[in-house]
Amino acid sequence: MQAAEATYRVGVDIGGTFTDFCVFDEVGRGIRTLKVLSRPDRPGSEVTTGLAELEQRYGIRPSQVTFFTHGSTVGVNTVIQRNGARVALLATRNFTDVLELARLRMPEAWSLYSIRPTPLVRKDLVFPITGRILSDGSVETALDRDSVVEAVRGARAKGAEAVAICLLNAFRNPAHERAVKAIVQELAPDLPVTCSSEVWPVIREYERTVTTVINGYIQPRIAHYITALQAALREAGVAADPLITKTNGGVMRASDAKVACVNMVLSGTASGVMGAAHAARAAGIRDALTLDIGGTSADVALVLGGEPKYGMGELIGDFPLYIPSVSVSSIGAGGGSIATVDALGTLKVGPESAGSTPGPACFGRGGERPTVTDAFAACGLLGQGTLGYSAVRLHPDRARLAVGELGQKLGLGVEDTAEAIIRIAVSGMYAEVNKILAKYGTDPRDLSLLAFGGAGPMMACFLARELGIDRVFVPLTPGVLSAMGGLVADMKNDLVRTLYVALDERTIGIVQATFAELEAAGRAWIEERLGVGADYRVVCSADMSYKGQSFEIEVPLEAGWIAAGDLAAITAAFHREHDAIYGISDAEAPCRIINARLVIVGQTPKPDFEPLPPATGPLAPRQEVEVRLDGRPCRAAVYDRADMQAGHRLTGPAIVVQSDTTTCIPGGFAGEVDAQGGLVLTRQA
Amino acid sequence: MAIDPITQEIFANYCRATAESMAYTLYRTAHSTFVKETEDFTVGITTVGGETAAVPRDLGATWLIGLDYKKAIDLIPSYEEGDVCCTNDPYSGYVCTHAPDLHVWKPIFWEGELVCFTVGHIHNTDIGGAVPASLSRTLVEVHQEGIRVPPCKLYRAGVLNEELLGIMMLNVRAPEQNWGDTKALVGAMNTGERRIHEMIRKFGVETFKAGLAGLLDVAERQTREFLRAVPDGTYRYADYIDEDGDNGNPIRIALALTVAGDTATLDFSGSDPQLDASNNVPTGGHPRHTLLLVAVYYTLCTLNPRILINGGMCRPFTCICPDGSILNPRFPAAVGMRSLTCNRIRTAIFGAFSLALPDRMPAASSGASSIMNVMTTDNETGERIIAAINPIMGGGGALPFRDGSNGSGGDATFLKNSPIEITEAEVPIQVLRYGLEPDTGGPGRFRGGLAQVMEFMVFSPQSRITARNRDRCKFQPFGVLGGRAGKPSHFTLNPDGDKPVELGSRDILTCDPGDVIRIVSSGAGGYGDPFTRDVEAVLTDVRCGFVSPASARDDYGVAIAGDAVDTEATQALRTAAAPVPAGRHFDFGAFRDAYEAHWTRANYDAMTAILDGLPVNWRAFIKKRLFAELASDPGMARGNGGAVHAAFERIREGYPALRGRRRAA
Repeated sequence: MQAAEATYRVGVDIGGTFTDFCVFDEVGRGIRTLKVLSRPDRPGSEVTTGLAELEQRYGIRPSQVTFFTHGSTVGVNTVIQRNGARVALLATRNFTDVLELARLRMPEAWSLYSIRPTPLVRKDLVFPITGRILSDGSVETALDRDSVVEAVRGARAKGAEAVAICLLNAFRNPAHERAVKAIVQELAPDLPVTCSSEVWPVIREYERTVTTVINGYIQPRIAHYITALQAALREAGVAADPLITKTNGGVMRASDAKVACVNMVLSGTASGVMGAAHAARAAGIRDALTLDIGGTSADVALVLGGEPKYGMGELIGDFPLYIPSVSVSSIGAGGGSIATVDALGTLKVGPESAGSTPGPACFGRGGERPTVTDAFAACGLLGQGTLGYSAVRLHPDRARLAVGELGQKLGLGVEDTAEAIIRIAVSGMYAEVNKILAKYGTDPRDLSLLAFGGAGPMMACFLARELGIDRVFVPLTPGVLSAMGGLVADMKNDLVRTLYVALDERTIGIVQATFAELEAAGRAWIEERLGVGADYRVVCSADMSYKGQSFEIEVPLEAGWIAAGDLAAITAAFHREHDAIYGISDAEAPCRIINARLVIVGQTPKPDFEPLPPATGPLAPRQEVEVRLDGRPCRAAVYDRADMQAGHRLTGPAIVVQSDTTTCIPGGFAGEVDAQGGLVLTRQA
Repeated sequence: MAIDPITQEIFANYCRATAESMAYTLYRTAHSTFVKETEDFTVGITTVGGETAAVPRDLGATWLIGLDYKKAIDLIPSYEEGDVCCTNDPYSGYVCTHAPDLHVWKPIFWEGELVCFTVGHIHNTDIGGAVPASLSRTLVEVHQEGIRVPPCKLYRAGVLNEELLGIMMLNVRAPEQNWGDTKALVGAMNTGERRIHEMIRKFGVETFKAGLAGLLDVAERQTREFLRAVPDGTYRYADYIDEDGDNGNPIRIALALTVAGDTATLDFSGSDPQLDASNNVPTGGHPRHTLLLVAVYYTLCTLNPRILINGGMCRPFTCICPDGSILNPRFPAAVGMRSLTCNRIRTAIFGAFSLALPDRMPAASSGASSIMNVMTTDNETGERIIAAINPIMGGGGALPFRDGSNGSGGDATFLKNSPIEITEAEVPIQVLRYGLEPDTGGPGRFRGGLAQVMEFMVFSPQSRITARNRDRCKFQPFGVLGGRAGKPSHFTLNPDGDKPVELGSRDILTCDPGDVIRIVSSGAGGYGDPFTRDVEAVLTDVRCGFVSPASARDDYGVAIAGDAVDTEATQALRTAAAPVPAGRHFDFGAFRDAYEAHWTRANYDAMTAILDGLPVNWRAFIKKRLFAELASDPGMARGNGGAVHAAFERIREGYPALRGRRRAA
C-alpha cells in the first residue's frame, strides 16, 4: 500500500505531564500511539512536536490528517490554579452574596477550622443590578439601565477582564439578562460577557451563578488556547479544523468551545471515560468500573450497559459545575501517595502525595519519601521495563532505601513494609471506591474493572480482589484512552428548559411546545455543524418530582408520549422510576415537571479497529524475576505486551510491561489476550 | 485477642466502607427533606456492648457518633437473627433524645454468636402529638410531643411487626413518609449486616471482634494523647440562652472543665433546673451522653484532623449533670426543642477549651440556627402551603490565624439553605433580601464570621411564621483575647415601615398581607485586638461591604477615605486607642456585662443552691419568682448572694408547702 493513499484520524489529549496521541489509520485500520511532554508554557507547541514525531516515527504527514479531536485539562487547571480572568459578576440587588453563601454547608462537617472555598469573584467585583423578575416570569421592578452603567463603570475601575450575568429567576424569563448583556456590550465591547440563561438555564441561583462564573473565568484563557492550537495545526499543514471534546462526553467545534467554554472544562477526564467505555464495548464488556490512576489521584467512573453515567454538580477544583457531565469521581490516592508513620506508631498512606515532581523515590528525580509506587518497586513488581515514552528510568534501589527507612520505625523489613504500604493503600482506595459504588447502589460483583493510566494496571488486580470484582480488563493502549475517547465521541449537545409546573391536562400543551422548541433548537445546532440532512438522534427526558419534594429525578421519556400528549404514559414512567430508586411510589399523588431536557446526538464516523493476529504459539516470558507477593517471596514471569497475540494465555504471579505502564498480576489471576489485544484477567475461584 | 496495627488500619478502612455503604443506602433510598437536604440521620456499627465503633465520616449528622446504645439494647430481653429493634422514647434508655428521632438497632450474628449491632436513626418530620411537626417550645410534657415507642422489635426474626407499625402510623400526620424513610433505614441495617458478614469472611470472626474493639481503643488513645497536651487545671465557663419562654428569663448553662492528665471531667452543676418548656436535654445522667460531648468531638477533630471518629473518643470524659436539671430532666419533662440547649452546651465547652488552649481554639460561632417555616395561602388557588424556607445562621468564630467563615461555619456546618428561586416557586412569598449583614462579625485581629440576613413579604391574611431555636438577641457570642463579641440577632416585623416591631427571640408570629419580616442571625466572635488587624484586610472588608467605614474607624482604628486608607488618620486613631485590658479573656458585649453585674456568680450560686434544695416540680416556678422579685433589687449589686437568699425567704412565706423546708446551704 502506498503511504500517499493513507488518511488518518488523530486524537490528542493534553494532560499535566504528558500529551497523548492516538492515531487511527483509516485505510490500514491500525492504531498508533505517542506520548510527548506537555508544554503548559507554550500551548499548541506539544501538538507541533507530536505531529513532527508522528511523521518521523510512522511516516504520517499532517496533510494526511482528515479528522482531529482534542481534549485538554486547560479549563480545569485554570480553576484549580486560580489563574483565570478577573470576572465581574452582575447579580440582582439585595442578592449579591450568592457566591459567598453558596449552599451554606461547610466542606468539612467536623472542623471548626473549616471554611468554604474563596469564590472565584471577590465580593468587591460583584455589582447589584436593579430590576426584579418574579418566579412566574413577570417583571416586578423594571430593569434600571443606570444600575448597569454603574456596574460597568465599577467593573472597569476594578480592572475586570470579563463579565458574568446571573439574575434571579432568569431561567424563567431571560429578558433582563439579555438587556443587561446588550448594555454591557454597548459600553464595553472589549469585555467578553456570559449570561446564565445562555449557559444552562435551570432553576437554583447558586448553581447557575457558579457555572456562569466558571465560564467567564476560563473563557479568555481557553479562547487563546484554542486559537493557538488552530494556528499550530494550520502551520503544521493539518487542514481539518479541530473538534474539541466536551464535558458531556461528546465533541464540538473549536469555535463553539471558545464561547461555551464551560463545556470543555472536563474535556480530558470525560473523554478518558468515553475511551474506556469504547474499549469495554469492543471487548464485549457492558458494565465496568473504570479506574484511571495517575500520580496524585485516581479517577473512577461507572459504565453501565456500555454507556457512562452522567450527572450534574461535578467538582471542578473547589466548585460544582451544573451542566450535564460524564460522572467522574476523583479520589485523592495515586501512585505518588506518601507513606508515613504517625505519632502513635501507625502506618498511614496519603493524603500527601509526591505528585510528578519530585515524584516517587524510584523515579530518581529527587523524591526521597516512600510512595505507593516505591512499595511496588521494592517488592520487585516494577522496574522490569522502562516507564513512559520519555523513558523514565526506574531505580528500585532508591525505592528500597526509602521504604526501608520507614520500616525501621515500624520494626519491619523492607518487603514487609512495602507490602503493608500496598495493603493499606489498596484498602483506603477500596473504601473510597466503595463510597462511589454505594452512592449509585451498584454491586461491584456485577462489574469488570477497566484499568488505565500510568498506575491503574499496577494496582487493579489488588483493588479488584478487595471489591469482589472477578474480572480486570487492561486495554491494549491504556496510556492513551483519553486521546482515543475523542476519536470515538459523537457531536453532542444538551438542552434544557425549566418548567416547574404540575403535570396535568392544563399544562401538557406547554410541555409539548417546550420539547418542540428544544428539538428545533437541537436540530438547528446539529445541522449547522454536520450539514442539513445529517444523521442524528434525539433523547428526551424530564426532571420530575412529587409536589412538595425538594429534589427531582431524571425520567427518560419516549418522543411518542410527548407528541401524543400521553399524560398517563409520562406519569407512569415517573412513578416507575421513583419506585425503582426509592422502593415506593404513589400513583395518586400529583407530580410535576421541573425541567424538560433533550440531548441531540450527531454520529461521527467510528473507527473499527483491526483485530490482532491470532497466536501462533504460546506466549513466552522475557524473563523470570524474584518478587514479593501476598506475604511471601515467589517467582513471577515478565511478559512484554508487544509480544502478545490474540488468544495468548498467562497465569499469575506475572508482570506485563509496556512502554507506558506495568500490569501486576498476583497469583490467583489468569489472563487471556482478546481479539483486539486487550488483556482480560480473571480471578480464579 | 489483639491484632497487629497494620491489620487494624486495614480493618478501619473496611469498617468505614461498611458504615458509608449503610449511609448511602439510606441517603439514596430515603426521600424526605429531613434526610435529603438536612442530612439529619446517622448510621453506625456498635460493639455487642453498644459502644459506637464505626460511623461514616462525611454523610449524616454530627451529633450522635458517640451514642451508647447499651441501655436500650439491654431493655430487649433476647435477640435472634433477623430482629430489628426500634425506639423513639426519650426516657427509655436515653438513646433517643426527642420523639421525632426513630432509632433502630439490628443484632448481627455469625454462626449463632452475636458479634455486633448495626444502628441508626432518622428524624421523622412528624411523629404526632399536639402540634404539626411535633416540636414546639411551648410544650411542657413529653406526652404532648408525639407517640412514643419503647424499645421493641419492629422485625422479629425477619418478620415485620404489623401491629406495632399500625399503631405508629395511625398516630402520625404523614404516615407514608415516615414508613418510606423507616424502610430506607432498615435497608441500611441490612446492607450493614451483609457487609459485616463479608468482613468476617475476610478477616475471621475473632479478628473482627478484636478489630471492632480495637477501633474504640485507637480513638481512645488518640483522645488521651490530645488531653495530655492540654494543661491540667479547671476551666470555668458559663453561657446563657436568652429566655425560657415568651418574655421569659435567661437559661444558664454552667461548666467546670477539669483536665487531669489524660482524663477530663465536665461538671455542669450550676446549670439551670429543668424547664416548663421543651428545651430540656434528656441525658439520664449518663456520664458520657453523646449530646454533652458534641463540642468535644468538634474540638478533637479540629485539632487532630486524622483522629478516628467513634465512641472511643468519649471514654476519657466524665460528665456530671445534677438530677432534675435542664441537662438531666426527670420524666415527663418535654424535650422536643433540646437542640437550642445543645447549642449552648457546645458554646460552654468551646469557652472552657478556649481558656485551656487560647492559641488554638476559635472565638464563639454564631450559636443560633433559626429554622424558618412559613404557613400561608396561595391567593390564586386558595391552597394552604407550609414550607421550610431557610436556616438563618451566623458565621464561624474567628480563628487564631484567620477570619471566621461568613454566614455559617464553626459548629453549624451541616445544614444547607434553600435556593431563593425554589422558595419563590414553592411558597407564595417574595424574598426581598438574602445575604450577609454588614458589621455583624465580632471585630478582632481576625474578624468573626458575618450573620445572614433574610427579608421577605407575605401576601395573604393569617400567614404564620415560625422560627425555631431563636436566640442570641441578648447574649452575644464571645470574642477572645481582645476580639469583640459577635453582634446580636434581630427579628423584626416591617423593619422599614412606620412602626417596626422588634420580635426578639419569639418563635411564632402571625402576619397580614403586605407584612415584611426581616431576620438577622447573630454574628460570630472576633479573635485578638481589632486595632492590630492588618489595615489592608480592613480595607478589603470595607470594599467588599462586610464592614462599614464607620466600623472600620470606630472598631478597627482604620480611616477610610474614598476607596483608600488614610494612613495618617489611621495612625492617629490607632495610637490613641486604649490597649485591650489585660487579664480579660472573653468579650461578651454590653448586655451580658450588665446582666452579670446584677446576677454575679455568687448570686447565681445562691439561686442554684436554693433551687437544688427544692422538689423538682417547684424549681422552675421559684426561679421565675426569684427573677421577678430581684429584677430591680439594689441588694443584688453587692453580688454576694445575700439578696437572693433574702428574696427566697420572702417568697417562701407565701407557700406553706415550702415553709417547713430548711434553708438551703
